[in-house]
Amino acid sequence: MRYSAYRIDRARLIEAINMLGPGFDVRVAPHLETGESGPGENMVKTFMFPQPEVLFTFKKAPPTADDVDLLREPSLPHTTTLLFGIRPCDARSIHLNGLAYEEDTYFWHRIEGAIIVGYLCKTVLSTCFCQRVGSGPDDTRYMDVVMMDVEGDHDALLLHGITEKGMIFLSQELGPLLIKCGGAKEEIEQSLGSRQYPKDTNTLDTLLSSDLMALYNAPFWDQLKDGCLNCGICTFRCPTCYCFDIQDETLGAKGRRIRYWDSCMFPLFTQHASGHNPRGGKIFRVRNRFMHKLKYFPDRFGAISCVGCGRCVRDCPVNIDIREVLDNLLEVARS
Amino acid sequence: MNWEPKIIAFLCNWCSYAGADLAGVSRLQYPPNIRIIKVPCSGRISPNIILDAFLKGADGVWVSGCHPGDCHYISGNLYARRRLVLFERLMEFVGLEPGRLEFSWISASEGEQFAAKAKEVTERIRVLGPNTRLRKVF
Amino acid sequence: MLEVTGQHRECQEQLRKRARDLLASGEIAAFIGYGNGSLPWVPRPIVVRSPEEADRLVWNSFLTLNLANYLPGVLKELEPPRRRGEQVDPSTLPRVGIVATGCWSRNIVIQVQENQVDRSRVHIIGISSRGMISRHSFKQALGGKEALKIVENDHEIEVTLSHGETMVLSRWEYVRPNCKTCIHPGPVVSDETIGPPPGRRLVDERFREIEEVEAKDSQGRWEWFEEAFKDCIRCYACRNACPLCYCPTCFVDDSRPQWVGKSIETPDALTFHILRAYHCAGRCTDCGACESVCPVGIPMRLLTKKLIKEAQMLFDWEPGMSLEEAPLLGSFSPDDPDIAILKGGEKGT
Ligand code: SF4
Ligand code: SF4
Ligand code: SF4
Ligand code: SF4
Ligand code: SF4
Ligand code: FES
Repeated sequence: MRYSAYRIDRARLIEAINMLGPGFDVRVAPHLETGESGPGENMVKTFMFPQPEVLFTFKKAPPTADDVDLLREPSLPHTTTLLFGIRPCDARSIHLNGLAYEEDTYFWHRIEGAIIVGYLCKTVLSTCFCQRVGSGPDDTRYMDVVMMDVEGDHDALLLHGITEKGMIFLSQELGPLLIKCGGAKEEIEQSLGSRQYPKDTNTLDTLLSSDLMALYNAPFWDQLKDGCLNCGICTFRCPTCYCFDIQDETLGAKGRRIRYWDSCMFPLFTQHASGHNPRGGKIFRVRNRFMHKLKYFPDRFGAISCVGCGRCVRDCPVNIDIREVLDNLLEVARS
Repeated sequence: MNWEPKIIAFLCNWCSYAGADLAGVSRLQYPPNIRIIKVPCSGRISPNIILDAFLKGADGVWVSGCHPGDCHYISGNLYARRRLVLFERLMEFVGLEPGRLEFSWISASEGEQFAAKAKEVTERIRVLGPNTRLRKVF
Repeated sequence: MLEVTGQHRECQEQLRKRARDLLASGEIAAFIGYGNGSLPWVPRPIVVRSPEEADRLVWNSFLTLNLANYLPGVLKELEPPRRRGEQVDPSTLPRVGIVATGCWSRNIVIQVQENQVDRSRVHIIGISSRGMISRHSFKQALGGKEALKIVENDHEIEVTLSHGETMVLSRWEYVRPNCKTCIHPGPVVSDETIGPPPGRRLVDERFREIEEVEAKDSQGRWEWFEEAFKDCIRCYACRNACPLCYCPTCFVDDSRPQWVGKSIETPDALTFHILRAYHCAGRCTDCGACESVCPVGIPMRLLTKKLIKEAQMLFDWEPGMSLEEAPLLGSFSPDDPDIAILKGGEKGT
């Protein structure tokens, strides 16, 4: 029989994580130790989209050389990446990005080789709005193992395997390092049962049924763009912004093709070789970011491309707030 | 280790480049570590170009133009002088070893000065060792 | 929510009144200022286009962006479309109002010197800055807690945190280092000024941050540089927040030749920072906008400050002090120090 539920001391858990074998690439979110609320640093994004990602390397070889050597794909790692302490919003971002990256081998190799140990949120920040976009601080979907605080005991954590992968990991790898706690499973199920997150499908439905051009031509964009710097902070902090650019870099006789983050806030993003830029003005770029998340993506994939983590709200230097944009769009949609 | 310093020299077409030529024609010995790139004027040198040389693996960069007052384009080197002194100070501030970046004014008739400077720069950079600080590797 | 009392409150009221009058009289078509945002510590740069909207304008200690950054764009937006090469008399074009502290006004001076802004089309309301609060140290002071409401008076910042806790910070302690050592808190050019005259700053300590780095040897400085800049995510907010950065194609976007690699690997990120700083040589006013907007707290302002120090020592130059001057690197003097003789020396002095 597999044990997949544990109650464990925070400090002991961290000790146990450090004792895991070399087959694991372990990344622990700082809030696992500090218990700080909110999504924290964006480990999931940097894991999903390495900066840069080498797609292949190449070199100029003498004519006699073996063809195989001219172009080489990097060998994909075989370690299991353990993402420890991922908040529900960030865990959900993997799922949403997966919709757009459906056929991307590199992306899926990484995701399939990862174990997501989620960490439910005890408190929400004033900038968190996961509930509004179809999730919530107790959302356990998209996690392999779920972790949660114990009411009234800061030091204790409950761990519970959810997927097959998560259960195996818990019972075979981490479990032996922990002390199994008989009652935990029931305790978790009970507390999850009592902490149902409100799923807001109303927002999504309204956006889906609204007229795209009406949203696009709404007058509020003109004021919204005034303050925007067209820096890439909001996109680079966002776990569901996945746009990239590709370049070849050469160094003497060798080179590599890399993929790295790009942002629809940058003019270069849409610049044509002719010099013409279909999104030449600031307003086009600002509008695109929000329309993509709140209308184009939903229309295509049936979900809002925002997990409500609030990072862009907190880090935007000029306080452009996606929640206000959402309100404005809904208002247009309803009128 | 048979490491040999690789030094990129950006030489003004009208003076230092001709100076290098004269050094060659006069059969003056100077180290083969100097790789010369001809530029129209020292005023053409932007910091981008210097950094690019370091990124691509240069161990040292040497910029040389006409003596102040003798620029073929009248004032190119006077602009360059202002720009490059600030750039050099910035580079030293962020930890580029002093001496990796060299500036000089050498005229078309100063073949000997050219050869002497080339020796001096090469020896200085040999002592500093390979440039690791701003070099791109992959 | 951010509330102000004291001197800033008075400035705010006068500012609203003057902006309203200017807009109502038709002297200007738009006014660039700050309004409140959804987070109390991040006021939002706004463009006010009608007298009724003037009451949205605010004045407080959290205005860390340099509003000059928006000036060329707003001026341009107000110009009627014209054919290529068509000449227009600037006096017929709509004018723009802007509020400016010392450094913001110096950046406007630079924009005028560099032909980005036509002085006759700008109405500047000058306010002497009392120093702006550093977002980074403010965040640190809260120790991971969230500020829900801020009330500031002349010397204190009262912060309401979640769960009703409150915290009182002494204002000056959290003022940004560039503001603390500012040489010119009052506007250099203006059409009118409001508020009290500037107070004294710690100008003697102006270059202390720089001297600390200079005191290290070359190896130490390199280690400092690598370490301090290693978290840069290349979002370019520092570049975009800077009123000096207006090139249609930035050097980072050039692809043939590609001056800077696109990744966040050390040589690429550091090259970006060296060149970004260098492009501001002789122009940077130490307004601190770049440092304030950085989401990860990179001290890139120290690179430009080093250049300020050198330009001052070598050329006796302070950027943006007079409309009549030519840009430092767009001019020269036969008596300039000679780089071939003058060496930086181990300490870069
Ligand atoms: S957005 Fe929701 S899931 Fe994410 S940190 Fe905030 S409360 Fe937690
Ligand atoms: S919305 Fe904010 S973070 Fe995003 S590009 Fe504009 S200014 Fe930068
Ligand atoms: S758009 Fe903003 S709130 Fe939504 S996922 Fe991205 S960073 Fe988080
Ligand atoms: S220094 Fe900061 S603001 Fe500038 S690119 Fe890097 S992360 Fe962005
Ligand atoms: S470089 Fe930074 S401090 Fe200097 S003017 Fe630009 S934004 Fe201001
Ligand atoms: S032509 Fe030689 S330096 Fe200008």
